[in-house]
Amino acid sequence: MILLKPELLDRLTAPATAQDLWPALQQAIELEHATIPVYLYAKYSLDPAKNGDISSIIDSVVIEEMLHMTLAANVLNALGGAPAIGQPGFIPTYPGPLPGGVETSLIVNLAPYSPAQLQTFLDIEEPEDPLNFPVQRVAAAEAAQAITIGEFYATILKAIGLLGDGAFVNPPRNQVGPDIMQESPVMQNAVVVTDVATAQQAIQIIIDQGEGTGTSPDEIVGTFGVAHYYRYLQIQKGKKLVPVPPDNHLAYAGDPITFDPTGVFAVPANPTSAGYPTGSAQRFACDNFNYTYTSLLLTLHSLFNGQNTQVQFNTIIGLMMSLKGQARAMMTGIPNPAVITGPSFEYQPVNP
Amino acid sequence: MSYLNPVRLHFAGKFQANVSTVNNDPGHFDNQAFIPSYQELGNGTTNGWFNPQGDATWRLLGCTVTAAWLPSGAVTSSDPVLQCIVADSDTQAPAKLVDLDSEQQLVSEIWGMQVRIADSSGNTLMSGDFEPAAFLDIWDRAIGAESGGDVDAGATYQSVLTNLKWADVSASSFLTALQEKAGDGLLSIKFNVDGINMNFQSPDFMCGRIVGTIGPATTSEPQHMVLGRQFMAEGLPSANINFFSPVGGINFFPAVVDQGAGCIFLDLGNAISTNPTGQLNDLGDLALTVAGSTTPIGTIPSTGSGGYASDPTWYSRTAGVVALPLTAAQLSAIAAAPLTLASSLTLATLYASISEWPSGAFVRADRFVYRMSPGSSAQIAVYATQWGQPLAGASLTFTQDPSQLQPGNFITNDVPPVGTPTTALNFAATVTADGNGLATFPLNVTDPGTPRYFNNGLDYGIDGQVYGIRPSFTDPQYTTGPVNQWNFISILLWSGFTASDPVTWTDVEPIFVQYGNLYPVMSRFLNLGNYDSVVKNAALLSLAFGLDPANPNAMPVTRDLSPAKRNAILSFLANPQMGVPKAAAEAVAAVAPAAPATSAKARMGGKAQAAARRLVLQAAKGATS
Repeated sequence: MILLKPELLDRLTAPATAQDLWPALQQAIELEHATIPVYLYAKYSLDPAKNGDISSIIDSVVIEEMLHMTLAANVLNALGGAPAIGQPGFIPTYPGPLPGGVETSLIVNLAPYSPAQLQTFLDIEEPEDPLNFPVQRVAAAEAAQAITIGEFYATILKAIGLLGDGAFVNPPRNQVGPDIMQESPVMQNAVVVTDVATAQQAIQIIIDQGEGTGTSPDEIVGTFGVAHYYRYLQIQKGKKLVPVPPDNHLAYAGDPITFDPTGVFAVPANPTSAGYPTGSAQRFACDNFNYTYTSLLLTLHSLFNGQNTQVQFNTIIGLMMSLKGQARAMMTGIPNPAVITGPSFEYQPVNP
Repeated sequence: MSYLNPVRLHFAGKFQANVSTVNNDPGHFDNQAFIPSYQELGNGTTNGWFNPQGDATWRLLGCTVTAAWLPSGAVTSSDPVLQCIVADSDTQAPAKLVDLDSEQQLVSEIWGMQVRIADSSGNTLMSGDFEPAAFLDIWDRAIGAESGGDVDAGATYQSVLTNLKWADVSASSFLTALQEKAGDGLLSIKFNVDGINMNFQSPDFMCGRIVGTIGPATTSEPQHMVLGRQFMAEGLPSANINFFSPVGGINFFPAVVDQGAGCIFLDLGNAISTNPTGQLNDLGDLALTVAGSTTPIGTIPSTGSGGYASDPTWYSRTAGVVALPLTAAQLSAIAAAPLTLASSLTLATLYASISEWPSGAFVRADRFVYRMSPGSSAQIAVYATQWGQPLAGASLTFTQDPSQLQPGNFITNDVPPVGTPTTALNFAATVTADGNGLATFPLNVTDPGTPRYFNNGLDYGIDGQVYGIRPSFTDPQYTTGPVNQWNFISILLWSGFTASDPVTWTDVEPIFVQYGNLYPVMSRFLNLGNYDSVVKNAALLSLAFGLDPANPNAMPVTRDLSPAKRNAILSFLANPQMGVPKAAAEAVAAVAPAAPATSAKARMGGKAQAAARRLVLQAAKGATS
């Protein structure tokens, strides 16, 4: 489980103005984004012909993290704030804690898929009270003070209620709603935020999809059936989570999910552009990737700061596809089978 | 106005042109004959050439502003423009480099490029959209390059930047002046590319050198050519030439006489040959003379301080643009007399020379690459000039000329022909230029059928047909020198296409299968030849196929597709239906691949391979065999 720094709640307990929620919502955006490179790196390291099921499961989580980013940005915008995405500090450093995370808590690596990396995914997504499974707590002293992601979002939910409808901008301000993301079924769950009810709806989706409800792993809103933790757990259990008759309770009793260790490309953990020699093919590919990734962040920044159009969203899809194509080439030795490169997901506004 | 202007900046760096090469072979468009090895790396007829996995990406890499000029002279280091970079977009996918056709690969166009002038941290000061343009004047530039292929090639791109967006540029006198001159919302951009690396084991694979110039432009001028003086090169006839090799050692180039500035701007950026490492060859001091006088009106030194051959920074600092000051008497003397640029060396083997036509006349289409659907028409702007001025009222003749197109197939009895049927193009043989020397050439096209289907027309093949139309002066007295072989209009005319209603997989399968075959990069996203995979990705495919071809997010294949086929695909994706499979036609009896009759250089593939297939060369071979 990720433990967050308690000061994230400082301004949330008795918010005086909408601004009091801005830092926490910016933190939420950064947190939701921070898992995406980690998940994508693992996904792209998998040969889809050999590990297609695992790849698909990771994919389903990634796209919901993108939705969560959007939901948090919509709430921030509705409260008059401005998501800050196109800037160097937005991307976490790997290895390292997730944004807002307690440093002795979970250290996250950018690493190829492995059972150990899957455990990291489970640690990231682990709910406060995972159903039927023991919780591995961080033993550090500061953990006693730390808050859970559940507490973090629950406090935001409460703070939104305390602010009241008057704190929200209506008509909608800079909202990225389902209408501009028609190509994506998952993004149809985006919420246009204009008041307390829609803001709480948006935050609740993040909670439900990420952690599941308090009593069931089922997502309340979603396309993929169960919350992230339980979705990943299917891989560890080696079976799909399915309803079992007669009472249709969920159990890991479905089709097998097998991990084929030969279907993982030999990419390094925690690559950096600077770690590849200047003038090398790896440095070149990494720089190109990072330039495209930075372009994506700059474009997302615009999307969430007033350029909330379908054209802008389509541009973003194009950048994501470009990144996917580049990452696949880098990890599979294209053009030179002797050269494998790990895309490092770094902020790089100039392509050298 | 154009980039050849007292207000201009030069930039230099690298480009990446990550083109894919499976589609370089027209025979690879034959779905029935396609085998997996055609997607594999390797030269020759049964594989995918040197970069089968290319993704068509075109990038500007590490380009920096190397010099900037104002009417008062070179700007000094106090102007921050000299710390600026010239970059491509940071808000959209990378641009794409796209061939017109497998049988016309010598006009590759850059699509979807945004050009930015930015500070060294990447903050944009100016951005503009590069109007898609094709390269011109490709030649065998690197003398003595051993490795063959396109490694020795040089070529040039000229276009305009539109949709200009300026940040606060007041800190730079140069950028302030450039913005003031861009009142029409346009900038002129020209760059030269050479030295592409075709070795997949090199870090510089698919990269090369780029040097260029950005200056002002107006809406009243052509976008892809300079209205100026045209130095015309005669080609060397030789079997070992890939593209073009000038007899006089200097390639085609334009120049502009600027009366106000009292100078002539010569653009030698794609005109001086290099050694295999890209260093400019020493042709001796280059003297500009005017007919009737042996006294140079200006000289470009090759050696000494600032010599084009001796100073390793000369090319990147100037992009090959040289301004020679002229007196009033010289301006008057050259106004209507042909110019010659020639080397001062007396050794016959090194002597270099290039001249304007004695008539001073020139004719060219501004944009020279067109994709057209049956039943459509194009109004093609063609400019006639003399001594760099409009040739008002000139009568221009237009003729179909497929000689530079590149038909071929390693299955030698199933070569898709080019330029037929000629009757699909309808145009007036002569058009008269207006008072500004501008002739608007109307071209109407009809359905060419499917002349490039394989197996006697039974098997799906290359869509439509490619054509060449060459403009010239009706009055032969104007045509008094060598004609540029590359100076013609290329047209890809798509076949008519009607799908069933509703559109089914049976209709679109050959299209998808062919693209899956030709672009292995697509396998990183989906299996284009598989119904389930296509349907699963229908939303993303709809997005990609629905974009404007100029959008960098459009898949490279989109630009090969007729609007009719694109619409059929979109219709299919909106409501996928399997349909009834068609029985396959009996395959043509294939003739074993012939030993390549091309030069060793061409055998490495790329444009050199295509160039070796040109009809004009096939005809010459036929005449001598």
